[in-house]
Amino acid sequence: MESYALEMIDIVKNFPGVKALDNVTLKVKKGEVHAIIGENGAGKSTLMKVLNGVYQADSGSIRIEGQEVKIGNINTAKSLGISFVFQEINLVPTLSVVENFYLGELLKNKFHMIDWHTMTRNVKEALEKINFTLDPKRRVLELTVAEKQMIEIARAVSRNAKIIVMDEPTSSLSENEVEKLFAIIRTLREQGITIIYISHKLDEIFEICDAATVIRDGKTIETRRVKDYTEDLMIEQMVGRSVTMEFPQRTSKPGEVIFSAADICRKNKIYHVDLELRRGEVLGLAGLVGAGRTELCETIIGAEKMEAGEIRIFGKKTKISNTRQAKHNSIGMVTEERKETGLALDFSVKQNIVITNLPKVAWKGIWLNAGKEDRAAGEYIEELNIKTPGMNQKTMFLSGGNQQKVVIAKWLFSDVDILILDEPTRGIDVGAKFEIYQLINKLAEQGKAILMISSEMNEIIGMSDRIIVMHNGHKKGELEKDMISAENVMRLAVDTEEE
Amino acid sequence: MNKNKNKWLSLLCDYGLLVVLILIILIVSLLSKEFMTVDNMTNILRQSAVIGIMAIGVTVVILAGHIDLSIGSTVSLAGVIVMSFVNNYKMDWTGMILAILAGGLVGLVNGLIIAVINGRTCDSFIITFGMQTAVAAVALIYSGGKYMSGTGGGVHSLLGKGYLPIFFFLFFAVVLFLVMRYTPFGRTVYFMGANTKAAKMSGVNIKFYTTMLFVIAGVMASTASVILSSRVNAASPTSGKGYELDAIAAVVVGGTSLTGGKGGIFKTVLGVVIIGVLGNALNVMNVTTYPQMIIRGFIIIIAVVLDVSGNKLKNSGVN
Repeated sequence: MESYALEMIDIVKNFPGVKALDNVTLKVKKGEVHAIIGENGAGKSTLMKVLNGVYQADSGSIRIEGQEVKIGNINTAKSLGISFVFQEINLVPTLSVVENFYLGELLKNKFHMIDWHTMTRNVKEALEKINFTLDPKRRVLELTVAEKQMIEIARAVSRNAKIIVMDEPTSSLSENEVEKLFAIIRTLREQGITIIYISHKLDEIFEICDAATVIRDGKTIETRRVKDYTEDLMIEQMVGRSVTMEFPQRTSKPGEVIFSAADICRKNKIYHVDLELRRGEVLGLAGLVGAGRTELCETIIGAEKMEAGEIRIFGKKTKISNTRQAKHNSIGMVTEERKETGLALDFSVKQNIVITNLPKVAWKGIWLNAGKEDRAAGEYIEELNIKTPGMNQKTMFLSGGNQQKVVIAKWLFSDVDILILDEPTRGIDVGAKFEIYQLINKLAEQGKAILMISSEMNEIIGMSDRIIVMHNGHKKGELEKDMISAENVMRLAVDTEEE
Repeated sequence: MNKNKNKWLSLLCDYGLLVVLILIILIVSLLSKEFMTVDNMTNILRQSAVIGIMAIGVTVVILAGHIDLSIGSTVSLAGVIVMSFVNNYKMDWTGMILAILAGGLVGLVNGLIIAVINGRTCDSFIITFGMQTAVAAVALIYSGGKYMSGTGGGVHSLLGKGYLPIFFFLFFAVVLFLVMRYTPFGRTVYFMGANTKAAKMSGVNIKFYTTMLFVIAGVMASTASVILSSRVNAASPTSGKGYELDAIAAVVVGGTSLTGGKGGIFKTVLGVVIIGVLGNALNVMNVTTYPQMIIRGFIIIIAVVLDVSGNKLKNSGVN
């Protein structure tokens, strides 16, 4: 009988309003490479945060090599032999490889000075152990992402890690580097180290993993040997449910194309993306986190530099090099981080609404008129049903849903025809979500063209007339209304073929 | 009960300095007969006018979340420019216009650099600090390092006479007050100061606004310099040294927040008057220079403490 390196049994974790983990069970055999897969928000990250002690599970147990353990913080996890290689690398860029290896625990020699000699030799040995060569004296900021990962892995091995968790390790690696990483993973497996491999890329999972566990909506769906899985079965399990949430019906029919972008490129982020947007339609922009959806929209509105590409608005070729030009060409963007980039929290509801078009509430466009401001703000507060004690209330005191409505009101006030919504319902409670959906429908019916980024599968399927799926900065595909399904979106969003 | 207490506290944080000002005036006028005279009060305002004009200019920059340390050097440069034209060529109008344009140019360079690099407060601090050094040197080179005593004549020599400096100070204060409060430009500057990223994503041309702010500060500084050189009928290539700190101190004491978005021109006028009255009061009470500097330093520190704690109070308590 094989023994388990790690067992997480019936883990439950609640956050206010959501059950993030609902009796998740994960059993990883010793010395295997075990994949955890699931959609954005399925609970993978939460589960890993329970494992490294950032979160405490509400119930459930964790066993390491059969021994039940309590993991209170990251140091406990470390001492139990669990190491993490995260997407965001945990190295100090301005220090050398050696210093990062011994961060906070530099070796001293008999004179109580830093023992560079021994440390450098140890680091070299650790790197050799995973068949990787690199000058340990180099500063981390000079290294590539792949090299940094290797260092993290080597550091984990040198600390006698028994389990290494890799979270999307290949997300920013080239093909060549991926091969190198896989070679190292195989070396580690031979040394009896267990690896938990989190990835969206199914082809990689089939190449490198021995077993896989699918998680969906905070629940474990199934664990199988990878050889018993097919790609279709994995996707089906990841998506699973039939879409049950109710979305308000929309009566509008897409009209003429009022916005088109061709061959949009942004340095190292976006590659040759085309899209067309029609009056009265909601175009969904789907993709996994990091697919480049927000980056694409920032480029379109001139907030970031467009390297190449052509934008046509109402059929006319238009150059947009800053956000002001975007606004004057009838494009507005409701950003994902409404507190950071959407609102001045210290300012009132009224002041936030009118900021996009101050001349409209000013006499001859130059002298602000308090009466006009009040009327304009009052109109939108009523139309969008913004719940606030008054228009002079600071926006910081509003709920998330109402803050979001204020940001949308800003763009309605400036009367844009093309509205980009980046994760419009993130962090908003269910009731307010429904209201936002109704609002989106109303705007589409009024003839606005809406480009909606969303990472929630239900939402993007329920709301979109058409969906563009992005992956790694590329447009991976486009789904017409009759082709929209969770499976189709997911198939395009995960990387199952070479580009 | 508690709510009421908070309300009083936040009022105190807003207008505490005004209370301090009134207290100073009351106490000192009881102690000294010379203090509360029309002559002395006019004198205070006359002396404060130059710093005042600089202060209202730099207020606009500070409201947007930036800072300008180069305005003191701009005063030095503009002073020697106008004085050299008045003395050497009897061209007072040309001199004044060129001096003011020089201030605008310094501001333009500041603004363009900061706009291009998308600078934040810390960037504008260092960039205008560098500019301060460079412009001070230009003033020294231009004047050959010499102190210029005015040989008089022309419109220039009239500007600093009598109530005129006070008039100019109040005039520019009123104009900028109206611009900041009632125009789309002013409102946008406030919004920028409150949240630059949100302003950008709302379609504000941040680069244009940043540039304009520094041009305003530069022009106000050189205008102040024209009046200063007229009032003292002289100019020296180091005449504005340290003035930028006096001006910024007045802004802070008035209650404009260095983080941007909060405060205003009226508050700065108040700050200028408080610092002026305080200095004069200390003089009247025969406090010598060094203890005066200690007191002024602490007034500035108290102003910042009041500002910060007042904000905390408002964002936690009321509501």
